[in-house]
Amino acid sequence: MEINKTLDCIGLFCPMPVIKTKMELENMKSGEVLEILADDPGFIKDLPAWCIMSGENFLEIKNENGVVKGYVMKK
Amino acid sequence: MKDKMTIILFSGEMDKAIAAFTLATTAAASNMDVTIFFTFWGLNILKRSVIATSKSQNILQKMFNTMSTSRLPITKLNMFGLGPWMMKKLMKKSKMASLDELMKLAKQLNVKYIACTTSCGVLGLTKENLIDDVNEFAGAAAYLAEARESKVNLFI
Repeated sequence: MEINKTLDCIGLFCPMPVIKTKMELENMKSGEVLEILADDPGFIKDLPAWCIMSGENFLEIKNENGVVKGYVMKK
Repeated sequence: MKDKMTIILFSGEMDKAIAAFTLATTAAASNMDVTIFFTFWGLNILKRSVIATSKSQNILQKMFNTMSTSRLPITKLNMFGLGPWMMKKLMKKSKMASLDELMKLAKQLNVKYIACTTSCGVLGLTKENLIDDVNEFAGAAAYLAEARESKVNLFI
């Protein structure tokens, strides 16, 4: 998977990671992939739920030693 | 058509306002149109200055606006203002968004604010007493017209 941009949301709580994701995607082109790093465990459920509502393409989310890594492709 | 969310913000406590604005900003960032209707104590959140008195207010209104201010208490452990101070410190330390930050985001995300004209009238509050972010001054019918179309409707 080619990552076009990485957004660091480590240390931030809900709703900030989701809102920053939305704002970051606004500056990206269709088909580009955004990687989001977070440590709020709620983000694992929040990111796919937000993608359903916003219509963005959810790719993957994983927890690597407490760091959550999410991947979204801009619609 | 976008989905709609409507919130009645009746309470004037900081913790309840944070809950309302957390949901409002998330919904607005999730492709929804969000309207918040501020009434009764909720108007304290919109006051421009801490003590929102003006010459046109009568003595009771002035007393009310001196005692009930934009310095918001918290629902539990308020301890005459020590609680909110402690909570703000804790929130800053843990990098949780403050109410001010959430309200700035809400405006960036085009969340619509309606101030209840009845509550404003009772308390003697005018446009000048409230922040510029207020989009409309209206009553129950204007709120209901939006709420009946909305998928999520909360009373906080």
